[in-house]
Amino acid sequence: MNVIVMGCGRVGASVAGQLSEGGHDVSVIDTDPFAFSRLPTNFAGRRITGSGNDFRILEAINIEEADVFIAVASGDNRNLLASQRAKHQFGIKNVITRVKDPQRSVLFEQLGLSTFSPTKNGSELIITSLFEETPDKLTEASQG
Amino acid sequence: MYIIVVGGGMVGYGLALELQVLPDHEVTIIERDHNQASKLRDELGEMVVNGDGSEVSFLEQVGAGRADLLIAVTADDGANLVTCQVAKHRFNVPRTIARVNDPHNEELFIRLGIDTTVSASQAVMAQIETTLPEHTVVPLMKLKKHGLTVVDLHLQHGAPADGRAIRDLELPIGTLISLVVGDGGAVVPNDGTVLHSGDEVIAVIPIDAEESMHELITGHPVAV
Repeated sequence: MNVIVMGCGRVGASVAGQLSEGGHDVSVIDTDPFAFSRLPTNFAGRRITGSGNDFRILEAINIEEADVFIAVASGDNRNLLASQRAKHQFGIKNVITRVKDPQRSVLFEQLGLSTFSPTKNGSELIITSLFEETPDKLTEASQG
Repeated sequence: MYIIVVGGGMVGYGLALELQVLPDHEVTIIERDHNQASKLRDELGEMVVNGDGSEVSFLEQVGAGRADLLIAVTADDGANLVTCQVAKHRFNVPRTIARVNDPHNEELFIRLGIDTTVSASQAVMAQIETTLPEHTVVPLMKLKKHGLTVVDLHLQHGAPADGRAIRDLELPIGTLISLVVGDGGAVVPNDGTVLHSGDEVIAVIPIDAEESMHELITGHPVAV
């Protein structure tokens, strides 16, 4: 698959690295060239310094030929703008968007994007692990 | 009418000054930067609030549910788009206006249902175009939903339209000549109104008819 990853933070670098290792054609975009140091040393894809919302860059990497667009830059609004452009303007079928704000994540899911909210997932994990009533924990509780 | 303005930079500030003098309107200005917000508050008072206008819970706090109009004019196109979408789809705000900083984004904003887009670079270009003699068809405003554009035409000497009545012109289908400004001042034309070189004509034309209009009022095709 031809994949574009917008944002080379920890998540972006990890996803781009794994897909590249799996033999996919990966382009990763970040405004900060330092961010590419997070990529694994054997990363075979393209590193593009610039904004994923800059048309000159999108044209240079032939965005319309991508099969997958993954928006994991730091700003929710930036990710939502880029993702909607990828989906509605360039017709990319598979678009995945990180939206930290759970409410915006839900709303844009309703508007047809595939979003995920690490804030929501993370807090759910914490609550679940606190109140998960496994036999071990019940024993611990009764002993304590 | 209740109006929410998101973005308290130069554009938002100017807008607030215009809106606050209108009677029977309630206006709220949202500015994300704390220092900028308190500066604006010193001058404009209670109408200024500090917060993130693209956040659902903050828009709820400022009463977006009863807003009649939301105008997003920050320097960030992502924020402007998302704010208008949240307003429209979560709070059913009937009308949203977004500033478009990068003209490339205009088409996408319209496609995603933003009612009106305002592009500063386009407005400046239109101003510049009026001063260039070779630009004789100056687009003033695009009515994208209807595929129409409002143009300002400068009728050239010897052009096909020079000295002819409107009914005798081969106008592109869908054209409406709305106003003719000549030596005698502005007139609302009828079929028999004769156009003369030097006239300024305001017309509503289909977006794809700009070129044929150009030929009609200059006598030569658009230079490519």
